[in-house]
Amino acid sequence: MNGHLSSRPSRTAHLSVRLLLSTAVAGLALAGCRGNKSAEPPVHPNLNMDFQQNYKPQEENAWFSDKRAVRALPAGAVAQDRDRSDVELNSGRGADGRLLNGLPASVKLDDALLARGEERFGIYCSPCHEKSGYGHGIIVQRGLKVPPPSFHEARLQAMPLGYFFDVITHGKGTMKPYASQVPVADRWAIAAWLRVLQVSQRAQIADIPDASREQLLRGTP
Amino acid sequence: MAQIFPRWTNKIPLMVGVGAPVALCGVVFVVWYYFSPRFTDVGYQPKQPVPFSHKLHAGQMGLDCRYCHSTVERSSFAAIPPNATCMNCHANLDLGERQKRVQPVIDSYEGKKSLEWVKVHMLPDYAYFNHSVHLNAGVGCSSCHGRIDQMDVVYQAEPLSMSWCLDCHRNPEPNLRPHDQVTNMAWSAADADAYDAAKDPNRKRKFDAELVSPGMPRTPEHLNPPISNCSGCHR
Repeated sequence: MNGHLSSRPSRTAHLSVRLLLSTAVAGLALAGCRGNKSAEPPVHPNLNMDFQQNYKPQEENAWFSDKRAVRALPAGAVAQDRDRSDVELNSGRGADGRLLNGLPASVKLDDALLARGEERFGIYCSPCHEKSGYGHGIIVQRGLKVPPPSFHEARLQAMPLGYFFDVITHGKGTMKPYASQVPVADRWAIAAWLRVLQVSQRAQIADIPDASREQLLRGTP
Repeated sequence: MAQIFPRWTNKIPLMVGVGAPVALCGVVFVVWYYFSPRFTDVGYQPKQPVPFSHKLHAGQMGLDCRYCHSTVERSSFAAIPPNATCMNCHANLDLGERQKRVQPVIDSYEGKKSLEWVKVHMLPDYAYFNHSVHLNAGVGCSSCHGRIDQMDVVYQAEPLSMSWCLDCHRNPEPNLRPHDQVTNMAWSAADADAYDAAKDPNRKRKFDAELVSPGMPRTPEHLNPPISNCSGCHR
């Protein structure tokens, strides 16, 4: 009687332990490991106000049919946080409406401007125009229908500096405007660097300052 | 007289004594392993509305991150570019067979429907984060986002957890780079070892290991990451 009683619960206990273990193992296997790729949104076991009912930039708002929490600007909206009173700086044109042939008075030509221009040219222009300015950038190599002109052709060498600022700002032909990607000061830096590229391609050895010329002829940096 | 407790009940103390610690360890393991953002968030790779490949654009073609994410140096938010940025090139490209992959972008640009990109990296809404501050301090994109240039479809590579943030804020130097290297995806551990932020004269904000510890005097021109002050990030 006793033996009979003791064997039955023990078997159930064994079974339930086995069931528990196998559920645990199956659960762990299903849950996967850290770092596994998943297209499902993260599940946070403790929500902690991780996701709040406010809108961060570019978030979704189901209220609007296009779901954009950030509303498109109405036509004709003017940014009010930018000072546009400096006409030369902002338009690339002088008081007479002609394109500036040089930097606007408020932009100082120095090493920092050229370094900035080189960097920005590398980011925004070189994909098409190539770092050298000849116009065989990676996008052109991959089949841009209308390749950009070389900056070193006579027509563009003769252009005033304001022309390049104007083209960056408003685009030209198949090139779209870069005003939203490149702020005004950077556009001038790029234009200045562009001029450096142009000068570099037609420079004579006599144009180089004495100290640097020796260095150049030695062939060491 | 029959016993009230059958013989097997003698094993109960043993089972509880062994089973309870094992079960407790199991619970601790499950919470430690599975409740961590390293499990819940790392590897999140949502399906995007357009089969855009960072591996192609940033990797093989070598476009700079900032060509598209142009606000990242000026704003707290590294914006998803407007369709117009895509069209800078794609308006003049014919990809032939693959052109249909770009079609949703073209349709959207022509005003038919907004593209609903899915956000991958989600910080908790109570944590303040500013992209431009990190970039201008010389923290590279890949330090937090991983090798985006090797991802066809972007996934979250780092946990973005509080302890992960603090690991770097308490010892930022290994993750600091020269400013012209911030978007360099291939910046390696060896590059990091060779670079000494404290000795770089070109840094916008000076790095001084002495100053990156609680209680030390700080000036605005010094790298000054919040370390022990809760309201540095939870403001």
